[in-house]
Amino acid sequence: MADLVQVLPWLVWVIPLIGALLTPVFAHINGKIRDIMAAVFALGGAVSATLLLPTALSGETIHSEIPWIPSLNINAGVLADPLSIFIATVVAWICFLIMVYSIGYMHGDPNLTRYWFFMNFFIGNMLLIVLSDNFLQMFFGWEGVGLCSYGLIGFWNKDELKDYVGTRGHTVLGLPQAYSPSQAGMKAFMMTRVGDISFLIGLLILYYYSGTFSFTELAEKTGWSKELVSAGLFIPAAILIFGGAVGKSAQFPLHEWLPDAMAGPTAVSALIHAATMVKAGVFLVARVGPIFYNAAEVTSQVTPLFITIAWIGVFTAFLAATQAVVAKEIKKLLAYSTVSQIGYMMLALGVAGLSTDFALGYTAGLFHLTSHAIFKAALFMGAGALIHATGSKYLHDMGGLRKHMKYTYISMLIVAGSLAGVPFLSGFWSKDAILAATLGASETSSMSIIYALAVVTAVMTAFYTFKMIGLVFFGKPSEHLEEREREGHHVHEAPKIMLIPYTILAGATLAIGIVGFFFEEGLHEMLSRNLEHEFANIHIVEASGGINPTALVSSLAAVGIGGFIAYYYYIARKADPTKITQNNSFARGLYQFFYNRWYMNAIYYWVFVKSVEGFSRITFKNLELGVIDKISTSVATSTITFSTIGRWVDINVVDGVSNGIASAGKVLSGVSRRIQTGVTEEYVFAYVMGAVLLILLFLYILLTGVSV
Amino acid sequence: MQPILIQAVFLPIILSPVVYVLGRKIGARAGWFAFAALLYSTLLILLAAGSSPDYLENYDWQPIGTFGLRLDGLSVPFAATIYILSTVLAVYSIPYMTHRIEEEVEEIQDKAERHRLFNHKIGLYFTYYLAYAAGMLGTVLATNLIQFYIFFELMLIPSFFLIAQFGYGDRVKISLMYFLWTHVGALLLLAGLLALGFLSGHFDMSLINTASMNQSVLIWIAVAITVGLFVKLAAFGLHIWLPYAHAEAPTPISALLSPAMIGIGGYAVIRLLLFLLPAQYEIITFATSIWGLITIIYGGLMALNQDDIKRFLAYSSVSQMGYIIFGISSAYYVGVSGSVFQYVSHGTGKALLFMAAGSIIMQTHGIRSISNLGGLSRRLPITAIAAMVGFLAIIGVPPMNGFQSEWMLFYGSFAGALKTGSTAKLFITAAALVATALTAGYTLVMMKRVFYGETPEHLQHVKEAGLTVTIPLLALAFITILLGIYPGLVTERLLPVIASVLGGGAS
Repeated sequence: MADLVQVLPWLVWVIPLIGALLTPVFAHINGKIRDIMAAVFALGGAVSATLLLPTALSGETIHSEIPWIPSLNINAGVLADPLSIFIATVVAWICFLIMVYSIGYMHGDPNLTRYWFFMNFFIGNMLLIVLSDNFLQMFFGWEGVGLCSYGLIGFWNKDELKDYVGTRGHTVLGLPQAYSPSQAGMKAFMMTRVGDISFLIGLLILYYYSGTFSFTELAEKTGWSKELVSAGLFIPAAILIFGGAVGKSAQFPLHEWLPDAMAGPTAVSALIHAATMVKAGVFLVARVGPIFYNAAEVTSQVTPLFITIAWIGVFTAFLAATQAVVAKEIKKLLAYSTVSQIGYMMLALGVAGLSTDFALGYTAGLFHLTSHAIFKAALFMGAGALIHATGSKYLHDMGGLRKHMKYTYISMLIVAGSLAGVPFLSGFWSKDAILAATLGASETSSMSIIYALAVVTAVMTAFYTFKMIGLVFFGKPSEHLEEREREGHHVHEAPKIMLIPYTILAGATLAIGIVGFFFEEGLHEMLSRNLEHEFANIHIVEASGGINPTALVSSLAAVGIGGFIAYYYYIARKADPTKITQNNSFARGLYQFFYNRWYMNAIYYWVFVKSVEGFSRITFKNLELGVIDKISTSVATSTITFSTIGRWVDINVVDGVSNGIASAGKVLSGVSRRIQTGVTEEYVFAYVMGAVLLILLFLYILLTGVSV
Repeated sequence: MQPILIQAVFLPIILSPVVYVLGRKIGARAGWFAFAALLYSTLLILLAAGSSPDYLENYDWQPIGTFGLRLDGLSVPFAATIYILSTVLAVYSIPYMTHRIEEEVEEIQDKAERHRLFNHKIGLYFTYYLAYAAGMLGTVLATNLIQFYIFFELMLIPSFFLIAQFGYGDRVKISLMYFLWTHVGALLLLAGLLALGFLSGHFDMSLINTASMNQSVLIWIAVAITVGLFVKLAAFGLHIWLPYAHAEAPTPISALLSPAMIGIGGYAVIRLLLFLLPAQYEIITFATSIWGLITIIYGGLMALNQDDIKRFLAYSSVSQMGYIIFGISSAYYVGVSGSVFQYVSHGTGKALLFMAAGSIIMQTHGIRSISNLGGLSRRLPITAIAAMVGFLAIIGVPPMNGFQSEWMLFYGSFAGALKTGSTAKLFITAAALVATALTAGYTLVMMKRVFYGETPEHLQHVKEAGLTVTIPLLALAFITILLGIYPGLVTERLLPVIASVLGGGAS
């Protein structure tokens, strides 16, 4: 039994990977078995993770290793500590539910084998990230999920117009803002790749000084930090590693790929680009943050890292929220919101290292990761059902749907409330915990600005969330819907196989919300005990301090203000919101600025794509063809001289020899007449001559050869 | 001592005239004979490698010294890559060259005549093919400078004929250009080798000790050897022959030329420069690492501009050779080992890509222009998967072998920089890593343009080729992934060997 527990952390991620590899096999049997087995293997991962929960709750850690690259002392291994078990369980169950949802959502797609392969491959790699005990193996999962993300964003790689993300005809700085699925996939891969390169640079520098990739060794033997500090590379290395998280979790300045990733199937957006993969960066910070914090000889050494994390987090939260406010497509709104919410998580993990009590921000960040994973997965699945039902991805093409899609309405209302921070839903507690942790940070110089930004973002969050609810479920049906109605497409509730997964998640949101405070306490208890246990230099101030009144008032005010404005314009529809931008040029400018993504997307494209392409074209034309090739051509001119010589050799030497051997060649080939005259024949004989000489050499060696 | 390696080298050479005779009789099926010969030889290599970590066969070769064949931790990755690729590509050559030669002879009206000519040509192809493979193998097993040079030339001559007789486009001119460029390099190398041999009094590598020699001459020898080999490696400025030769060679030969042959230049830099002239190596590494970096970036930039699918891959090889040069210049054992591993990764990855390109060319009846391709992932799914695996290997994405080799290569470079406290080299390494984004960029753009999007009208009826194409593709894809997950097959013997010269390591 003890052995089984040792094997479980391996099974968690290996089972889905096996499922991925077997997909083509099942597909050969029949389509239905393939679809069901895909979900079964995902379930296998989830069950294995759940079986580990008792270990986590008892505060134990399973660490199992096998040799991998012995000559470099690198082992492969799994580390199942409370952090990884907790995250793995949450991730694996959400994965399973979305797999079930996919059976309904993707029904009838001709390329489902590829779909299930990538989905299970994704799940396996995601769980591999969570359970790895070292950086190198984690990087396998890290790139594996990126690969799946690329493959699934571009799943509909036929690039039909209906699958484009973004509004056609919308251009910014001369660049079209609508992306085909394959282009969006490429963009995601490239942008996260930039983060990964940063990650790798930091990692390799760290490896040079520490001599290990293992998390546990890095935590136990902290001598490496001294050398890194004296080389002046401690903070650079840490921030470079954090760069990987910035790319993967779509944080500023590498956030621009996620909104366009919505070109993928909605189930993919729910799984990869909302609930799980984009949290990998948060998980990385949760893994690595304590290691650096613990290794620093004095806390001030590591402060710049956590300030960076906190600032990037809060700025991204704000930046993305402004874009969500003006988003037109439901999935894009949710995508901006994801970026924004991950910013909150980063903020929390950043302030963890700036507080006397590391566990406060740390718990808050991971709590928000959990609640967000649940409610955002549900929101996306609901959005998928809405898009299915209405045949449009635009918010203004919906409206009045609460009567036709009652269960979807109720579920989405709950999870949207959680996103907005409505009291007694999971998101309320977790966001409140982040605000409280931010207030608790001892680093005060810039904290008030950070706190203000976080609260303003909360207001915007409540606003855009209820704006979405209002536009979709309230008011009158849009013209688009009426037209569809006339064509005979009635709006229907989603089929059960799609509906049940997100109602379950809505239920979970509610349940965590009800026990929210105690859930938070339990999580804090479990994680802080683990931190203290694994890291010698992290000390936990007992008791999380309960409810912070300032934070509580701020979050209540935020949801109240944001929610009221949205209610006024979009639910009660007391006034026409389009008037605001019509009548006020400042508002219009701001709207454009936000809607054009602060122009960052377009500027990136000009700087990193267009200019490289242009430079490459100019170099090719002027240097490669204009100079280097020309030199080579002059060499070629001299080859004419050479080939004249060659001709002479051909005629006078090769021909002579070949005529001499011609008869031998005939005998050899058993052909009685020469079929062909010309240059090729002579090559053959020249060649045979060469071979004969070599064989002679060989025989000579063998005959005279004295073995040594 | 069993004569194992000598068989592995000379058996294909001895059999090469036989395969021509066979070709005359049974046509393309002679390829199976070549395949069997190479498979047997490959097994011999693996057998020898399995029997001892430093397997050596010596034959007396007076007055030059010893004719030795050595399979140590450094030569195993090269030897195995060369022969495994040659074996796999022998199978792939059967359908591809059938297609290629049929194209050539289709104008001939007389059926019997056409048949005869076809058989003649395909026999000839496999004749050269065997000699070419054996030449490459002999080069990496040689223990004697003269012997090394002979094999170095031996691989050049059949490849020259293969391009000249079976290539595309202006093949005679291109083959001459290829011959001349690489020959100039080879002559520089020869000058260096002869000088080294005569000055040290030995041609056997194991007897050469440069530490006690006149150092001022040695640096010039080192430069001659390096530049000579950099022509083979197609380093920036010396690369112009490569896009022509690799693009216009028959595709199975491109798949051997590009990864297997030019990378031997990297092997030679390690064997001849690092092992024999370590002090000189240290001096020139800073310059060569910059040269490598420029090659990485330049090859990538050029690749972005290509419309011909094979020329695109050829420029990508230039860039990849930059990686190999870069790693070798790290002066750190993990980095140099990473370069060797990169040779293997690029070997499987680029061979996959050329084979995929060949599959496209075959199945679309000769379309090579990327702008005329598109949406092929639905028509050629296995080719698309193989191409994706190949691309990921050269980008360096796990679980492909390219990731393992690239992290070692770049780690070595960082370690070399940090060990010597060279900030400049630290930044060069960071720049090289950033430049890998370019690799990702050009590969993904290509993937998108060839395989995604709407399938154009003229490609609607394209079908996947037969098993002689798909099985080699899948076999190589399997090796690519296997070595990514279990790199120990390459690294466990390699790292100690390099560490024994450069220092470092656990041992």
